[in-house]
Amino acid sequence: MARDPKYDILFEPIQIGPKTLKNRFYQVPHCIGAGSEKPGMQAYHRGMKAEGGWGACCTEYCSIHPESDDTSRVSARIWDEGDVRNLAAMTDRLHQFGALAGIELWYGGPHAPCMESRATPRGPSQVASDFELNIFPRYMDQDDINTVQQMYVDAAIRAREAGFDIVYVYGAHAYLPFQFLSPFYNRRTDKYGGGFENRARFWRESLEKVREAVGDDCAIASRFAVDHLLGPISIQVGEDGARFVEYCDDLVDLWDLTVGDIAEWGQNAGPSRFFEENHEKPFTGQIKAGDHTNKPVVGVGRITNPDTMVAIIKSGQFDIIGAARPSISDPFLPKKIEEGRFDDIRECIGCNQCISRWEIGGPPMVCTQNATAGEEYRRGWHPEIFHPAGNREKSVLVVGAGPAGMECAMVLGKRQMAAVHLVEADKEIGGCVNWISQLGHSDGKENLFRGSARGLGEWKRIANYRQIQLDKLKNVEVHLGSRLSTDEVLTYGAEIVVVATGCHFATDGLNAATHAPIPGADTSLDWQLTPDQVVSEAKRVGKRVLVLENEAYFMGVSVAQKLAGEGHEVTFVTQAGDIAGYMHYTLEAPMLHRDLERLGVDIHTYTMLEKIEPGVCHAYDVWNPAHTEQFEVDTVVLCSARISDDELYRELKDNKDRWEREGIESVYVIGDASAPRMIVDSIFDGHRLAREIDSPHPEMPLPFIRERRLWGDASNDDYLQQLKNTADVALA
Amino acid sequence: MSGILVVAETRRGELRDVSLELVSTAREVKEPAGGRLTIAVIGADAERFAGDLAADGVDEVLTVSAPTEQFEAHVWQRALEALIESEQPALVLLGHTIDSMGFAPAVAARAGLGFASDVTAISWAGGPRARRGAYGDKLQAGLEFPGKACTLLTVRPGIFPVAEAASGPAPARAVSVDLDGAARTEHVEYRDAAAGDVDITKAEFLLSIGRGIEDKDNIPRFEELAEKLGATLSVSRPLVDAGWMPSARQVGQSGKTVKPRVYLALGISGAVQHLAGMRTAETIIAVNTDPEAPIFGVAHYGAVADLFEVADELEQALG
Amino acid sequence: MKIVVAVKQVAALDEEFELIEDGVRVDVDYLEWDLNEWDTFSLEAALQLRDDAGGDGHEVIVITVGDEEAEEGLLSCLAKGADRAVRVWDEELEGADVLAIARTLAAVVEREAADLVLCGVQSSDAVNGATGTALAGYLDLPRVAVVTQLDWDGASGTATVHRELEGGVIEVARIRPPALLTIQTGINEPRYATLRAIKQAREKPLEVLGLDDIGLDADVVHAAAGSRTVALATPDRGAGAEMLNGSPAAVAARIVEIVQERMSG
Repeated sequence: MARDPKYDILFEPIQIGPKTLKNRFYQVPHCIGAGSEKPGMQAYHRGMKAEGGWGACCTEYCSIHPESDDTSRVSARIWDEGDVRNLAAMTDRLHQFGALAGIELWYGGPHAPCMESRATPRGPSQVASDFELNIFPRYMDQDDINTVQQMYVDAAIRAREAGFDIVYVYGAHAYLPFQFLSPFYNRRTDKYGGGFENRARFWRESLEKVREAVGDDCAIASRFAVDHLLGPISIQVGEDGARFVEYCDDLVDLWDLTVGDIAEWGQNAGPSRFFEENHEKPFTGQIKAGDHTNKPVVGVGRITNPDTMVAIIKSGQFDIIGAARPSISDPFLPKKIEEGRFDDIRECIGCNQCISRWEIGGPPMVCTQNATAGEEYRRGWHPEIFHPAGNREKSVLVVGAGPAGMECAMVLGKRQMAAVHLVEADKEIGGCVNWISQLGHSDGKENLFRGSARGLGEWKRIANYRQIQLDKLKNVEVHLGSRLSTDEVLTYGAEIVVVATGCHFATDGLNAATHAPIPGADTSLDWQLTPDQVVSEAKRVGKRVLVLENEAYFMGVSVAQKLAGEGHEVTFVTQAGDIAGYMHYTLEAPMLHRDLERLGVDIHTYTMLEKIEPGVCHAYDVWNPAHTEQFEVDTVVLCSARISDDELYRELKDNKDRWEREGIESVYVIGDASAPRMIVDSIFDGHRLAREIDSPHPEMPLPFIRERRLWGDASNDDYLQQLKNTADVALA
Repeated sequence: MSGILVVAETRRGELRDVSLELVSTAREVKEPAGGRLTIAVIGADAERFAGDLAADGVDEVLTVSAPTEQFEAHVWQRALEALIESEQPALVLLGHTIDSMGFAPAVAARAGLGFASDVTAISWAGGPRARRGAYGDKLQAGLEFPGKACTLLTVRPGIFPVAEAASGPAPARAVSVDLDGAARTEHVEYRDAAAGDVDITKAEFLLSIGRGIEDKDNIPRFEELAEKLGATLSVSRPLVDAGWMPSARQVGQSGKTVKPRVYLALGISGAVQHLAGMRTAETIIAVNTDPEAPIFGVAHYGAVADLFEVADELEQALG
Repeated sequence: MKIVVAVKQVAALDEEFELIEDGVRVDVDYLEWDLNEWDTFSLEAALQLRDDAGGDGHEVIVITVGDEEAEEGLLSCLAKGADRAVRVWDEELEGADVLAIARTLAAVVEREAADLVLCGVQSSDAVNGATGTALAGYLDLPRVAVVTQLDWDGASGTATVHRELEGGVIEVARIRPPALLTIQTGINEPRYATLRAIKQAREKPLEVLGLDDIGLDADVVHAAAGSRTVALATPDRGAGAEMLNGSPAAVAARIVEIVQERMSG
């Protein structure tokens, strides 16, 4: 199909210094857990986006020296020739697909704890990091300043050698150049501190030196947080923010604008729960609007809608559409817009699972919507290419159309299995996504800081995308409103059966802390609920509610938000030190805390329930069980644990003697039905089984490439030898 | 054979609008067709409609007395067959309605007439020409009726204007047809649509939802949104088929025809049967993720967008 | 009880297509075929009647006029539970209109001596809403068109049906077989076929007949035709809708503006 002229503007080239960006789709620097030490993952993940049409792809933050070491978080590094060699794998691959390669030169200062290098980071003033634990920088005198600026220059020269087209001096997220610029960090009284020009001096000098070193060959970019969101004590767009852009405009070929810092970078990588598409516009949009620059500007805001992209450029908000998460969710977004294949676009849902793995420090990237993110190299998975299955003459019955079932059926369909039937008991496709996406609202009011609790509505895209894809697949039939008995599954006529029947919440308070039910817990009673019952409004919820959370993710707090928003008096109890530990990793925690505080939710951490009685919950302090407390409540909501709905699977296995007669060759179980997990992992589970359905033992994942040092001389071939028999591996 | 025979439609004592729309249709070709324009009404009380049928351009009103008060397909079939026999028209026009679907095609089949249903335009060039949709209205087909002395067309209601009354009465003639024993079904009763709380035909502003809302659990949210907007909630057919909403709320050919000031359609693609019920609304705003949705063809304003996201934003904007 | 269900494989038009034969027909390469949505409901109605009747001697036969493209639809009906299928095709039937099709179907139904003939109210591509009634006309069968509820009383041999009228009114009527009914969507919940049933459908009888086999002369079919298509064109969209662009927030804001404007005064 031809490109709709409405989107032509997104495909117009634009000049960035000495380089030409072939279109307006720009993957801004973002983490993936690859760095320079997993060059295969780095090259193939970025390369996939270039193949999908992105005009430029950047590394994640790239350390210029061992003094800027973020271990255990994974950054890229350009310390030596080995790093040059490894990052060249990425630039080569990008150039192969016609994209520009960008490198974000980073010096973290006190925000980089140097746990691997054991070096001492330097900073403008000796103030400990507000992000890390107990890390102070060494005060930089003029010699130190010269030394660090030389680090930028040396790194830039190595970057050019590695083939990079765009070289950043990275000063967003409150890293070193920004620490000089902002009085929040900079308490100096010399020529590098005090007034605006003094505070801007370090950054300006760094840009000058880098430009002098490589500016003829490379485009010089700077990532700048135009507003720190801390008010007058730091940088504000209307004051020093815009002024800085003007002040350094002559030294920069491309401005990459953001907001906020690293301590609360959920204000920049805003989760959909709290931030709508293009949410940085009020800040980053002011730069072009106020005529503060003559250079091209790229900005972000979880922009996923092609029409929004057109509007942003036409209105002059930015020149180039920046994206991290939307490029992870769909590396082929630009191609799909070009080809008019809008229902094939896999939109980011803003869950920040990708970010969470980097935050945890070490694991490779994941993506709820795109199970191939992070697997491009180590498993050879391509999001748009599915090799026909070696056993595609078989037909498959997938029972359960939740995230795992939908994904599995979709990939099996794309792998050209003869027939795939996806059968769902509910009248709607989507499984748990349907009720979970109704959570996340509180009372609809503006938060103290920015935005409000918008809800998890964008998570519904998980179902929307798959429903459309399943509909398009001629070899896939979806049957809703049909609950199959074990006998019906056995006689269905499929050679392969995949059980994806999900899970349910424990009805008796079983939890990971005590490994036992809670006396008195019984959600069959009308005053005790599981979270799905709260959403379905199956039971009346009384005025005073106690919510028990033992799973450390979003369920308990979301229920608390909803009920408090509706006017209930909510008491929140968890045995953990945190109300929702995992949500720190998804960057949702700060806004969540603000919302719960504002709503007056009574929070009790390090607290567990000993016993539940009508009207009262007996609780104790986890550190001192003798210290007890009584909560008088009308309703109790138990988010204590989930349990697989695996009866069908067990019964099928019990009836193994019937399989041969009925023509069943294998039975698999995936997703929550196998073991309750996060949605991102359920989708992965379904995807993997489908990708490997023709391997000798599909229930056991095939080996993947581990990029590690092999003793003695090692070549790339050595690494590839590790892979055994996977038809999908195509590392061309 | 010459002239045009229009067949009026009544129901439960009322003359239906389509009857006089057909007169406008007929008048478009009356001259080139030559001959007279007669309009026939069939029923137990046919004569009392004679006055209403004296529209501008009608040369004669024919009444056929039927043994049953209510419509019966086989009785009407025999009556029309007799009228065609006695009047020898070149063109017979009926509305494309539920009643006519029960007998008009049978008349055309048995008498070997030219035939087309649900036509949206007619002309004359040595014989009738008609236009109707093809591939579900994605295309338009031009039709001819070669070798047919008489052609029967059923016309889409709501396309042609209702003909104005003539200045004076038209001559009326009773045509006697033996219809005893013609009935082959037995009428038991009429049942009105489940007495809804609301008459959507009286609403000035309708918020209309369709298949796009996906889940019946989403309905309360749209009920609330309708309230916030100051609109009445209406639905397209699939929601009634699924049992999610009473048929009193249904807009469409088999539901209600509405003509509000504003018709805001969320997630409705615009099947022909639905458009029939709302295309004359004063301002139609449609939101659908499919840029090719037929509803954009009749809407005044359209947005290719996700209806839930737009609903979210509407809810926020309205507070 | 023998129930014949007349079904149709309908064509959905691709986004881009080409016309052939002097612009009077769409090139089949641009068509996507599927069983008519209405026919899934009429088939289900027939299957339920047969299943409820219980015992032996009941049969559901699906018939269609169509070329090889129509076999898939017949197979899916057999997979869902129909007992037998009959497909009629002849080159002479190319481009046949609704009456020519109905005349052909009439010859097939006569062969079968059915108690009940069920058709869909209309097809989603031609949307004539006439085949069933025309078929009843040729067969001189009593009929009710646009049935939304069907209750069969075996004892009295009567079907009580609901006929759905405009404005949501329902007419309740009774009819005795042999008869023909045209079935409306939403009358029931059509069942789906398991993989086993789909595989086994190929073993059920599927007859392919020509006009000779049903004793119908091509001339008779041509004479029965009610119309001839002489042109196909994309409809004028007129000025079309003014499209509201931008994010959902922008769209919503504009909608509120338009509503306020139109509703005031």
